[in-house]
Amino acid sequence: MESQIHKIHQQLVSKEITCTSLIQEKLNALKENTHNTVNSLLDKMALELAERVDVKIESGAAIGLLEGIPFGIKDVYMVQGTYTTASSQLLKNYKSAYTATAIQKLLDAGAIPLVKENCDSFGHGSSSENTIFGAVKNATNPELVGGGSSGGSAVNVAKEHTVFSIGGDTGGSIRQPAGYNNVYGLKPTYGRISRFGLMAYASSTDCVGPIAKSIEDIRIVVNVMSGRDIKDQTTYESKIITEGSIAKNQVKSVGYFKNFIESDAINPEIKEDFLNALETIKEKGIQVKELDFFEADTLVSTYYTLAMAETASNLSRLDGTNYGNRIEGKNLKDTYSITRSENFSEETKRRIVGGNQVLSQGFSDEIYLKGLNLRDQIAANFENDFKEVDIILSPVTPNTPPKIGDSLKDPLAMYLSDAYTVGFSLGQLPTLTAPQGTSTGIQITAAKDNDEKVLQFANFLNDIL
Amino acid sequence: MTVDILSSIKGAKESKAVSKLFEAIKNANTSKYSFNNLNKSAVSLEDLRDDVVINSSALEKSIIKENFPKEKKGYLVVNRVIEE
Repeated sequence: MESQIHKIHQQLVSKEITCTSLIQEKLNALKENTHNTVNSLLDKMALELAERVDVKIESGAAIGLLEGIPFGIKDVYMVQGTYTTASSQLLKNYKSAYTATAIQKLLDAGAIPLVKENCDSFGHGSSSENTIFGAVKNATNPELVGGGSSGGSAVNVAKEHTVFSIGGDTGGSIRQPAGYNNVYGLKPTYGRISRFGLMAYASSTDCVGPIAKSIEDIRIVVNVMSGRDIKDQTTYESKIITEGSIAKNQVKSVGYFKNFIESDAINPEIKEDFLNALETIKEKGIQVKELDFFEADTLVSTYYTLAMAETASNLSRLDGTNYGNRIEGKNLKDTYSITRSENFSEETKRRIVGGNQVLSQGFSDEIYLKGLNLRDQIAANFENDFKEVDIILSPVTPNTPPKIGDSLKDPLAMYLSDAYTVGFSLGQLPTLTAPQGTSTGIQITAAKDNDEKVLQFANFLNDIL
Repeated sequence: MTVDILSSIKGAKESKAVSKLFEAIKNANTSKYSFNNLNKSAVSLEDLRDDVVINSSALEKSIIKENFPKEKKGYLVVNRVIEE
């Protein structure tokens, strides 16, 4: 698909449309909330900003590429003065006092925020059903889940209610819903975009990233959000990705993990489509190599062990003192306990308990420390792989989206459904879901800080698949 | 200490699904690799930011007050945090 940002920019500059009418049209569509994607509408702010853009255009002044472009924000980002609920009962009435760095950069570039988007509570889930705002419905088939945890964001982009949305990806939360709703979703290299103002789930793999309908829109948005930020000291200065640098494919070799494809857990159609895509790539003269990788259950277990340990620590502050809906008990400890028991969802409680379990004496050596060791081995494995190949390809998910209700019944099946995304998170690598190749897309991964190569290869796949 | 007390969650119990994940880790083979310590996300001491006080804007202060709506003699009333 062509860039929606460039198209709307032209329409605004040529006065074919006004910014106010564009924003009002999108707000009207979001207000219907047919797919449970909306936690709160930012209508007043959006219309005020749109009017300013119209005045500027009317005065003959030039506008920037993102000025007046409507976008959505997963409801885990701080935006000053807006409700930031993380789709949880605990923070249902919490208002952000400040704005996340990534979002502030978009606001400074003139983009207009429309909506705080539904997601799994605190990012805990792969289906966007674990939320107080109702399960997010898939954009194509509303009986199926929208994916998660950034489900509301992916569905809004797919339905064109937003031009792009900002999701958050810890173990696949941008890439999987992007795949389930046939749009692009990028998890950049860890540290490329500041996490300041993103509600922390697992700090060592949390990433900010865009979801959009074209590679060009992903490129524009990621460039604006990237850069070193003193408020997140894991950030680094990255190079701007130019339109020219991703136009021509330089990739000579791609690899794929044969155990992902030979697994009994993969849907036969996804397997066949993926192998056919590899054949098409080979026909274009690109070398395709089989690679060895860790078993899916080891990857999923390593990821969830570390993520649960980190979320147990990150969410310990949510006890009704500084944040959250406090419920008084007979003493202070009782108050904390009731507040957390009543306000956290079952899935969040499961992860906090699991995290405290692995961090406690007697468990930490054989589980948590082993998990850290495995993560280092996974990272080492990737370093070796990228000496052999330029890009690693993989399906995004082993299966098609489940029906609404099914994931809640079987948490283990939900964890295992993340088998193809979590490894790249542990490696802190740049990974893009492209809506091609299989019915839930194809995942394109490169070595750290090679986000440009990922987008370049996505352009190539877009031409050949 | 039991997990319900560690987690401050009443009646919290270990989950079967999560225990299965932990079993997989226990059984995973790590012997063929040495511990490489490749995780380089830590910030070096030279790179730490200065410890400076940044005043909140008037808007930020007013939103913080909104999140703590109780007021007594011009001060925000926050919840009790120390008991024993």
